[in-house]
Amino acid sequence: MIASNHIDASTLQEDQHFAADIVIVGTGAGGGIAAELFAKAGFNVLLMEEGAWYQREHFVMEERWAYPQLYQEGAARKTRDQSISILQGRTVGGSTTVNWTTSIRTPEPTLAYWQSEFGLNFSAEHNLTPFFELAEQRLHIQAWPVPPNPNNAKLQQGCEALGWEYSVINRNVNGCANLGYCGMGCPINAKQSMLVSTIPEAMRLGATLISRISVRRILWRQDQVIGLVAVPVDQYFQPRADIQLTISAKHYILAAGAIGSPALLLRSNVPNPSGRLGKHTYLHPTVISGAIFAEQINGHHGAPQSIYSDQFVWPKAREEIGYKLEVPPIHPVLMATKLVGMAEQHASLMQQFNQLQVTIALLRDGFHPESQGGTVHLDSAGQPVLDYPLTAYLWAGMRRALLSMAELQFAAGALQVMPINHQAQAYRSWSEAKAAIAELPLVPLQQTVVSAHVMGGCNMAASADNGVVDSEGRHFQLENLSIFDGSILPTSLGANPQLTIFGLVWRNCQRLIAQLNL
Amino acid sequence: MHRRQFILAGLAIAGTAALGVPLWHYSVSAQPDNRALVFSAILPALLYGALPADDTAAAAALQRTEQALHDFIPYLPKRQQQELDQLINALAHRVSRLAITGYWVTVQELTINARLQMLQRWRESYLVILQQAYHGLRELLYGAFYGQPEHWQNLNYTAPRFR
Repeated sequence: MIASNHIDASTLQEDQHFAADIVIVGTGAGGGIAAELFAKAGFNVLLMEEGAWYQREHFVMEERWAYPQLYQEGAARKTRDQSISILQGRTVGGSTTVNWTTSIRTPEPTLAYWQSEFGLNFSAEHNLTPFFELAEQRLHIQAWPVPPNPNNAKLQQGCEALGWEYSVINRNVNGCANLGYCGMGCPINAKQSMLVSTIPEAMRLGATLISRISVRRILWRQDQVIGLVAVPVDQYFQPRADIQLTISAKHYILAAGAIGSPALLLRSNVPNPSGRLGKHTYLHPTVISGAIFAEQINGHHGAPQSIYSDQFVWPKAREEIGYKLEVPPIHPVLMATKLVGMAEQHASLMQQFNQLQVTIALLRDGFHPESQGGTVHLDSAGQPVLDYPLTAYLWAGMRRALLSMAELQFAAGALQVMPINHQAQAYRSWSEAKAAIAELPLVPLQQTVVSAHVMGGCNMAASADNGVVDSEGRHFQLENLSIFDGSILPTSLGANPQLTIFGLVWRNCQRLIAQLNL
Repeated sequence: MHRRQFILAGLAIAGTAALGVPLWHYSVSAQPDNRALVFSAILPALLYGALPADDTAAAAALQRTEQALHDFIPYLPKRQQQELDQLINALAHRVSRLAITGYWVTVQELTINARLQMLQRWRESYLVILQQAYHGLRELLYGAFYGQPEHWQNLNYTAPRFR
């Protein structure tokens, strides 16, 4: 699509300056919501995105295209010691363009924890419910009315057999054809990502989008941001050095995600009196359990996530970490890279691709002294690297999670269960699996750990002593800077993050618009 | 410690332990011949059981996978590309033969079984750097192979076509 208010920065031939009322760095869940609300309120909005402006005609439902084109670091982003793989979007619409559409409001116990630890009040008149409702209406978020695909149905059946809680997932889709390729970009624009909803609407109202641009530095003086310095990226999304682009605005909104936003602030040496910038980054560290069933599962087909179980998210023993049970879509590259073993062993697992059911457990990190998250560092090129130490507390939770998943999969009728750990085998009964998992070496690299949710690093708090931004996302030291993305979350959520970000940013935008209009 | 130094230190320890030779230095820049040499040595081992039985078809599958690797690697962060090339250059270098392969031969002179044993030893190594090499190469190479629709026959899977 060619639009007069879209600029592909990689086509620019010389240095250039851009100016706007509001500049938004990042076009994901936070930047997308902000773009529409500010454009509607009559502000001149400039949206900037490091990834490309791909649209449905580009989405060919093949991982070999989607991963390098739509994901951070070609979907091969890893923590510093390479022990955790991170799936995160990098395209117009951010992770909303590639996520699996799961939309869950912020759990009440999470909000209560934020109140007690960070002085954040989201109760009574500060309740986020009206903003969740606005986002749900805008993005067509509803309970998925179609029966779950077999991959999700096994999660449901296991829960039913064991008397565990489960819920039907709310999804942000309109006209979904149940294809199962959400993670590679929706080819029919059914997913109501920022790419097809708020961003086109903001552009219709006059907002300008610059794609393939990487913001390298925030220029600031005393308590004011005075500009941004950016560069185009090359065809591989690597920052270029030949052209410099500068941007000025009245107010600056950072929405580059929980790794990108802290990295930009760190590169810019902004004031950081709390010492929390780029720290306490949370991942919902996730462990995986594969199972072979007699019948066809075909986990590549159908809504990727339609059932979850919160049976273990809030354990009674408060010293234990909680975990949420979900399933991922099953595609060739995703599976081949995660299944363990080599040569014939690996090949024979891949041959059972259509009988494979996969369950994942997302650990709720950030609620315990031994779960303080990771730290964003910069490499010699100024690019972010996340250091995320895995503690004994987290490993203990992962072992319990591997046990729960094996128990669930056998209860649902699995013939074999394979915890995704490089020392594990395929086990043929719950008792065999139970004994083996108790002894598995849970150490980095041997135990596969993944993440699709990056949160924190610029946490909000009532006081500047223990936060980077206030409860409305305003930076404590730089008056005309707001951070509107998952980086402001003070802990992980215990739920998939997009709806929390939509609702929180919606509220923060309304307040900022009111303040700027004074 | 900077990661690059860490890699060098790791290889130095491995080398010193195995060969009694002091620190050496491998380039972090891409050397296309080395990439081709190392990928063509490791792929047939890793993909043993997944490649077509027919030699011509297997050669085509390997060629496709090497091309996919060549196409994908530039999307990795520069830092990771340098680490990968450092590993590849070390693997391709004769001096590293005992330290890295465990044999007095270079990786491409090993039998398929010995190549698998080498990878297995990396996985079990007390050196984190070799464990990272195992996991990193394994993911990269399997991703490149299974990303190609021509290689999905064994999976009994075809992606839906829309346009």
